[in-house]
Amino acid sequence: MIDVQNLTKRFSGRTAVNGISFQVQPGEIVGFLGPNGAGKSTTMRMLTGYLPPTSGSAAINGHDVFNDSLKARREIGYMPENVPLYEDMRVAEYLSFRAALKGVKIREVRSSVDRAVEYCGLGEVKKKMIGTLSKGFRQRVGLADALVHRPRLLILDEPTNGLDPNQIRAVRGLITQLAGEHTILLSTHILSEVQLNCRRVIIINKGEIRADNTPDALAGSLQSSGTVTVELDAVPVQVEEKLQALAHVRRLSFSEVGGGWHRYEMRVEPGEEVRLAISELAKAQNWPLRELTQHTATLEDVFVELTQRD
Amino acid sequence: MRTFFILLVKELRAFFLSPVAWVVLALFMVITGQSFSLSIGLLREKPSDFSIVRWTFFPQWFWYYYFFLFPLITMRLFAEEQRQGTLESLLTAPVRTWQVLLAKYGSAVIFYCVLWLPALLYFGLLHWVMRGDVEIPLGALGGSYLILFATGLFHLALGCLASALTRNQIIAAILGYALILLHFLAGTFLMYLSQDNPDRLRPLLDQAVTMRHMDYFTLGLIDTRPLAYYFSGAVLILLITHQVLEYRRWKA
Repeated sequence: MIDVQNLTKRFSGRTAVNGISFQVQPGEIVGFLGPNGAGKSTTMRMLTGYLPPTSGSAAINGHDVFNDSLKARREIGYMPENVPLYEDMRVAEYLSFRAALKGVKIREVRSSVDRAVEYCGLGEVKKKMIGTLSKGFRQRVGLADALVHRPRLLILDEPTNGLDPNQIRAVRGLITQLAGEHTILLSTHILSEVQLNCRRVIIINKGEIRADNTPDALAGSLQSSGTVTVELDAVPVQVEEKLQALAHVRRLSFSEVGGGWHRYEMRVEPGEEVRLAISELAKAQNWPLRELTQHTATLEDVFVELTQRD
Repeated sequence: MRTFFILLVKELRAFFLSPVAWVVLALFMVITGQSFSLSIGLLREKPSDFSIVRWTFFPQWFWYYYFFLFPLITMRLFAEEQRQGTLESLLTAPVRTWQVLLAKYGSAVIFYCVLWLPALLYFGLLHWVMRGDVEIPLGALGGSYLILFATGLFHLALGCLASALTRNQIIAAILGYALILLHFLAGTFLMYLSQDNPDRLRPLLDQAVTMRHMDYFTLGLIDTRPLAYYFSGAVLILLITHQVLEYRRWKA
């Protein structure tokens, strides 16, 4: 569906996107993740034909976005960042205009608009001026605009940006509903969104792809997936050496948490189980134990790790 | 073609649904109506070299308001799209940049033409009231409309260019006004120069001096050279505007 090869974009000396390549298969929902200024929007603007690439190429369904731009654009429903809309148009009027513009037959415009309105829950504001709508509704109008012509590919640039938690949940629900019919590429810096919606995550930082995998695999592959915390009522002098001596334990740090209790954190080799050994050790040494946890990394850990490394 | 018409209809709606357009239209009718009424009074007082058409369309104060018209019509066209960011959603739809440009320009031209239509009614009304006793020279009327149309095309194109250059409507208006006035003053300057050296500058004068064109055409003298000048000028400016809009495509 999307085929990106060595895509590069330079703005007067600054490289916004640096030779990225990836593919998206039909039906996939891909989350495009990265801090602000990482090159997400620039990449999306190149995919939608708004900005030309400096070098490299991108194709939508086999149509090059630069040389065969019109055909490529017909396949796409694009929701730009901050959802630009005509303030002085009514919702239904705007959607009709957009549907016709994107090639929906005049006879079918009305039904397409009705479908998009229903899908995005815009029924109550259908006749309102866009300028008077709340942020949440504007966002939904943008989404309705993106899908009004039933494109095969939806490109959504930060669809939940600036919404309150309820609205985020509503938009997220919408996206999940859309998943069946469309291939979706969505960008965000809200991690929970990706974790809930996407089966694949591409993490981008400083214009380069840092990771491209399923959310779970990404979390699993991370070093910090093997962090074990244990709280013992024992002083470090006794404990430190013995814990360090256990198999698979790498780095140990501790802190006092009061009342004689100490909290020990250790990095263990990924995929290894050391909790049993620790509990047995504590029993053998008669150390009172009140907590023993193994942390699985969240996408947030992956994100921080990958985007702050340098 | 279909895309162009969808865009054109949208632009026309934007014109006629905005209060600014109606205010401009009303003001303009007041001005032309006043000119018309004054010209009748003038011709009743004493005979004149010029016809009623000439006095209605080009009274002395014509140049004071004529150039304000264009920035008012065109300032919104692209500047507003750029300010709202809607240019991005517009140009990522399957449309070509020239379709967007021509639709916006076309809607401005249509609105401009509509501004001049009520004046026809004045003449018709006069003819009807006076039962044909007043001579309304049709040649002069046709010539006036033709030159107003031609200069309008050129000036509206300049206004479009100004609007494409900025995201601020006020700047677009001032810039457009400056460009239009510059073109007019350059012509007036030529006319001034020609007072000392009429023969050498004469060919140039006939080409590029708006004031002179107006004089000829309102007499009913239709000269194709100024028409070619304005039409090709408008095409050139529109091509430049197109390049400005496509600038983001080739800036690296």
